[in-house]
Amino acid sequence: MLPPALLKDAIVYANLLLMLTIGFTLTYLIAKIPNFAHGEFAGIGIYVSFTVVQIWKMNPYIAVPLAFIVSAIIGVIIYNGVLRTLKKFGGTLISLTISTLAMQIIISALINVYADYLYPIAGAYSRLFMFRHIDFEFMGQPGVLIVSSLLVFTLIIVLHLILTKTKFGISLRAVVEDSDLASVLGVNVEFACTISWALTGGLAGMAGALLPLWFQGHPYTGSMLLTSVFAASILGGISSIYGAMLGGYLIGLSEVFGTYFLAQTFGSQITAYRMLIPLIILCIVLLLAPRGLTGVIEDLQAKRISKKIVRMGG
Amino acid sequence: MFESMGWLLDIIVFFAVYLIVTLALNLQYGYTGIPNFGLALSVAVGAYTTGALAGRIGMWLCGIRDLDYIMYNAMITSMINNAIKVDPMKGLIIFTLTILTVIVVCAFIGFIASYPAIRLKADYLMMVLIAMAEAARIIGLNYTPLVGGTTWVSVPNIFIWIGDFASQFTIILTLIISILIFVFMQFIVSSPFGRLIKSIRENELTAECIGKDVVNVKIKIMMLGSAIAGIGGSLWSFYLGTVLAAAYTRTDWTFWPWLMAMIGGIGNNIGALVGVAAVIFIRRLIIYYKYSIEAYIPFSVVWLEQLLLGVALILVMIFRPQGLIPEKPKKIKRK
Repeated sequence: MLPPALLKDAIVYANLLLMLTIGFTLTYLIAKIPNFAHGEFAGIGIYVSFTVVQIWKMNPYIAVPLAFIVSAIIGVIIYNGVLRTLKKFGGTLISLTISTLAMQIIISALINVYADYLYPIAGAYSRLFMFRHIDFEFMGQPGVLIVSSLLVFTLIIVLHLILTKTKFGISLRAVVEDSDLASVLGVNVEFACTISWALTGGLAGMAGALLPLWFQGHPYTGSMLLTSVFAASILGGISSIYGAMLGGYLIGLSEVFGTYFLAQTFGSQITAYRMLIPLIILCIVLLLAPRGLTGVIEDLQAKRISKKIVRMGG
Repeated sequence: MFESMGWLLDIIVFFAVYLIVTLALNLQYGYTGIPNFGLALSVAVGAYTTGALAGRIGMWLCGIRDLDYIMYNAMITSMINNAIKVDPMKGLIIFTLTILTVIVVCAFIGFIASYPAIRLKADYLMMVLIAMAEAARIIGLNYTPLVGGTTWVSVPNIFIWIGDFASQFTIILTLIISILIFVFMQFIVSSPFGRLIKSIRENELTAECIGKDVVNVKIKIMMLGSAIAGIGGSLWSFYLGTVLAAAYTRTDWTFWPWLMAMIGGIGNNIGALVGVAAVIFIRRLIIYYKYSIEAYIPFSVVWLEQLLLGVALILVMIFRPQGLIPEKPKKIKRK
């Protein structure tokens, strides 16, 4: 039987990873580059949460919408300020990717500066902190478990509705498919891209704001999550938002449960190697099914349809 | 005289080690077009191999047994150093054996890294290599028998028999090796093999169509580049005299070399040299004026350095993507 604490750990972590992975996949679809600065959005969220709790002495959940807004603004700045300028001057995919690496270094430095700046003001240690003790409880369950699960649930439904029912969502999918063709047909490509970068940053910031309620917050937490986000995105098949949801959840669960089962078998010192689990999954996926779960599902569907056609013909 | 030259020597060793690593990157990305974002992987493996092996080879040479290498590391290292003082040959053997092992191990790591490099698109590859470099650091940090995990291990001082100028000799040796590697690189890129890798960078399909084995060449380049970066990591540990697993981060050993290569000009060894010199010059300037800068800014200069160089990289890529010294087409002699 699994201990309940482990189950909570797994669900909260998987929820956060899902939010991060959706954003990462979205930017990959729009800009066609892996955004190495993606983890830093979560870092921004973590420090928004720290500010709200330790400086303003308010409820940590106020940080969630606030972090969404702050990270969304940073996302828009990255896209409009850096990536678009670089593209205008003829940047290749590689140079765009390197610029996200540079953005990661810059944002990480800013977060560290902010953490140093907060330390004397907050009167609390601003580099390794956790707010689990001030979280509320509802029916014996920690608040972050309920809030993050509800948030993820709403997020999936809302995102699905936006992407399939609204005009904006459909134009966004058109941009992903072929941005030139979409702009010919009158879609405002830059607007769609800006909104999706805001969404990307916002979701990651939200995940970051929830993170210290259950896990330890640190300026480097964001970049440490990056490997798991890569793995989740590739497991889901990097070309699909729905795949990202699935991948985020699966990687989150397998990281926590995998570490637990390995620790049961090999002893507790193995828990330190937790980050290797997503890496191993990443390698296996790339070797066996490089298009991820989405690719596998599409292949199965294609097989079924071709069988049907054969049957109809015979 | 040598004491007052301390800062200059520090710059020289910094320059030499980063030159080696940047040349490796330039070979992989600049000439062959493989975007190796896992450069820290090779450097870290080189350093960890040095940390794990140099002392153990010393133990074997000096006949030290029944002592745990990690637990009694300081004691063992001082015993080895005393032995080297008496018999310089031992230092030479330790150094040669370690460097040779580093080359072999890192070439093997490069072979493993080439597995994704020949199969994946650039964006997938970048993610996999970054993740691999992170994984190497996690293993180094947690697998204590390697380099002591969160503590560090010492590396024997191979020039201790010289006396006061031991560290100067290590620096000169590092510089000589980096110059040799530079010459070797120039030789490689001007050879027919160099033209082959450039043709692969320009158009893989064309190279394949005229009967070149692209996969094989890419594997070779990954192995060679990784071995060279590993030598850099190894020499760095010999200079520092310690190996700390946590020090081989993405910022220090992937981002800095990329920055240097991009600023200097990619696909061009002279450019790599200029880029390394420029970045080190800026970093030293910041460190030199540390106290006068810190009076104006309310935070540590470590972060200022990261901010400035991150912004510099973006500006260089926007306004001068070819770098300070662009790659020149090779002159063809007319008959």
